[in-house]
Amino acid sequence: MNGPVRRLSIGLFTGFFALLLAVTWIQVIHADALKADPRNSRPALSERGKERGLMVTIDGTVVARSVEDPEDPRSFVREYPEGEVFAHVVGYNSFLVGSSGLENAYAQELRSKRDLTISDLVTVILGRDLRPESLEITPDAELQRAAYAALGDLKGGIVALDPRTGAVLAAVSSPSFDPESLLGGDAAAVWEGLLADPNGPLLDRATREIYPPGSSFKTVVAAAAIDTGEADLNTEFPDPVEFPLPGSSATISNAGGGVCNDGQSINLLQAFVVSCNTTFADLSIRLGAEDIGITAEALGFNTEIPFPWTVPEAAYPVDVLAEDPAALGQSGIGERDVRAAPLHMAMVAAAVANDGITPTPYLVNRIFDADGNTVETFEPSPMGRAMAPATAEVMVQMMERVVTEGTGRNAAVPGVRVAGKTGTSMGPEGLPNPWFIGFAPVDDPTIALAVFLEASPELGESASGGGVAAPIAGELIRLWVERSP
Amino acid sequence: MTRNTEGATIVAASVLAGFGVTLVNFAQERSIDAQTALTFLVFLIGFGGIHLAVRAFAPKATPLLLGPVTALTALGFFQIYRLDLATESSRAGLQRWWILIAAGLACLTLVLLNRTSVSILRRYRNITLLVSVVLILLPNLPTDWGFPLRGLEVNGSRLWVLLDIGFTTFQFQPAEIAKLGLVAYVAGYLADHQRALREARRHIGPIAFPEPRQLIPLLITWGVSVLILISQRDLGASLLLFVGFVLLLYAATGTTGYLVAGGFLGLIAGVASYLAFDHVQRRVIAWLAPFEHYEDEGFQIAQGLFAMGTGSLSGAGPGLGRPDLIPNASTDFIFAAVGEELGFAGTVSVLALFALTVAVGLGIAFRSRDTFRKLLAAGLTFVLAVQTILIIGGIVRIVPLTGITLPFMSYGGSALVGNLILIALLLRISHEEAP
Repeated sequence: MNGPVRRLSIGLFTGFFALLLAVTWIQVIHADALKADPRNSRPALSERGKERGLMVTIDGTVVARSVEDPEDPRSFVREYPEGEVFAHVVGYNSFLVGSSGLENAYAQELRSKRDLTISDLVTVILGRDLRPESLEITPDAELQRAAYAALGDLKGGIVALDPRTGAVLAAVSSPSFDPESLLGGDAAAVWEGLLADPNGPLLDRATREIYPPGSSFKTVVAAAAIDTGEADLNTEFPDPVEFPLPGSSATISNAGGGVCNDGQSINLLQAFVVSCNTTFADLSIRLGAEDIGITAEALGFNTEIPFPWTVPEAAYPVDVLAEDPAALGQSGIGERDVRAAPLHMAMVAAAVANDGITPTPYLVNRIFDADGNTVETFEPSPMGRAMAPATAEVMVQMMERVVTEGTGRNAAVPGVRVAGKTGTSMGPEGLPNPWFIGFAPVDDPTIALAVFLEASPELGESASGGGVAAPIAGELIRLWVERSP
Repeated sequence: MTRNTEGATIVAASVLAGFGVTLVNFAQERSIDAQTALTFLVFLIGFGGIHLAVRAFAPKATPLLLGPVTALTALGFFQIYRLDLATESSRAGLQRWWILIAAGLACLTLVLLNRTSVSILRRYRNITLLVSVVLILLPNLPTDWGFPLRGLEVNGSRLWVLLDIGFTTFQFQPAEIAKLGLVAYVAGYLADHQRALREARRHIGPIAFPEPRQLIPLLITWGVSVLILISQRDLGASLLLFVGFVLLLYAATGTTGYLVAGGFLGLIAGVASYLAFDHVQRRVIAWLAPFEHYEDEGFQIAQGLFAMGTGSLSGAGPGLGRPDLIPNASTDFIFAAVGEELGFAGTVSVLALFALTVAVGLGIAFRSRDTFRKLLAAGLTFVLAVQTILIIGGIVRIVPLTGITLPFMSYGGSALVGNLILIALLLRISHEEAP
């Protein structure tokens, strides 16, 4: 009788072996395909329901938080109370369309460490915290809101820095989007809509898009000229109607179409104050690409800026310009191959304000744990000296004159000494990109900023940096100085 | 392995149960509460109690059986507890009571058999049969009459009995107990008629077939199985009854013809029920193409596969998967739930523990000298093994889903009672047959 029982045993164990094979197929060989099946909501759900850390601005405004899901008390939903205003800085963490901004850059800190239970136990035994860590970020919510409101319906970006430290006081991009709209079940459709929007609301025009900086780049050229001793405030230049570009039939002319001064000569200070193109094309060629390049690179051009996300490099292509005097002339007024994001141009203004030392911009002030204890504080060291203190002093004078009597008069704030430089570069379809870079108060600068408006039909073809960007800068400076103790 | 090691294994498995609850609490961001201690104690008292009963009443029984069974119950319990939290039900608390009740009944079995022997089941097999048949038919009682004992239909199957004792009601599946009685009856019957059955056969080619009149018991069982299928709309119980009977018949006689005839009758019943009942059709559709019928028939199987696939090698971790997305996870799909949270490591462990339990059961049958005990041990083990293979096979898509519970692991009191008594019987046989 043991014979049949033995044969049946073999049959039963064949059955168990078949189960083992099937389980191996499902959980090992075929597992990734099952995991990736769009109908399998588990992978997304496992990230979605988890608590994430706070993001709080330096003034205590919460810009990202996790709250208990009212429909499922064990799960959390992410909220971005400041919505569009902080969208490009804070980013989003969507289970359908991925993540961006600080949500992406600090994913490791912001996520709950509670996942693999065995490793969790080890973590707890080691005395570490499983709860997510939180970020204190440098922007001032009031300034950020004002900057976003100032851009209104226009396309553009604004970056404001503390010139002494590099702390980002504001970084806005317009148009924007509601990051919470990317968290729901319809995120994919919302995402498609945002991508298809001709105004590009997903683009970060403050730190992740580069544009020709136009005449605001004259700040860099002037600093290089003074630093190298090539020119000073009183150095005289010819004052032609047109500056012929060497080796080319093209010419550089001035904004108004005529001469900048008296048609005879113009000194550097005057040329800077009225933003004289012919003078700076001339000066640029006299200086040479290498010398301008040294100053530009010390101000953050051609350099990878350490930032929570990859910032495209601001471009001043020294090698190309050294071979091409015509292009060198055009680049002297921030056209041709010169490119910078508002972040870079804010760094230029900040370096002048900071006695010639370029600060490293940073967005995250400190990381703190769930009990509020500081885990890590960021004190970035400056990028380095871009110009001699004496040069910076001269630049301050020149930039203040731009606001008191030059193209930047619209940035003036009663009772505050403001310094700056306007710019109007050539955008698509010949439309202008207005710029304004500046800082205040002149005797002890607490804010350096760059205001950029992207060329658009709404902005019109006659918009200029002095006309539309400078007033925005003035408004933000006034607000900041009022708020500063 | 000694009795003391068995005790240590039971303590370890009880710790596993308590620890599983702790991990789930932990993962669900709850504090460590009384659940941990309560679970540990219930396992310790329940299975430790059986262990002590074995020491007292079946001291020569194999020490290899209780450990794996406790571990399987612990793995199942932690998933039941975990699913409770997700579905806001309170099955774990009930299951704890059932563990105590089932363990108590297992101890009682050992105590009662100590005064006689399992042979008493052979002597009174006709009474056993009668009781079992009555138990099987109980769910066919009207659902709405005044008598406190009523039939109950759950998820389209008429498998349940509701006992209304005024202030509270109990539900149980009498078939889970009846299956033991039927195995005991068949084992007794075959032990008595073994010689006659073995001699009354003729060869057709290489296969030995029983005399036609010897096929009558097989036909009767087949008829009863089909009746259960029709009247209670339950594929699992009827399949288990029939397969168990055929396997035991073959084990007793060694007549391959029983397997052939049984397979043939099973095929007829299967095809006929597929044509006749749409609940059988739905199961077959879900088995063959769960993803093509994701929205309806295939949803449960597809979710089970997603759960196991997402768990992959090491699992999501206790309390960190979403096994609650599988419909009826704690009864039908507890294996997939374990697969999601404990991964391949967990499912292989479960398979290994079942294989070990079945191997020990078969070993008891092999070593038994008495025909009845041998057949009883073999039959009980077959039922356990077939049930395990059918339900897990249904989840991993080797066979259509039959809707029977996974022994020891699924939520359900009557199944646990039946299976722990089954283990008690195996232990007792092992004791009686020890050299």
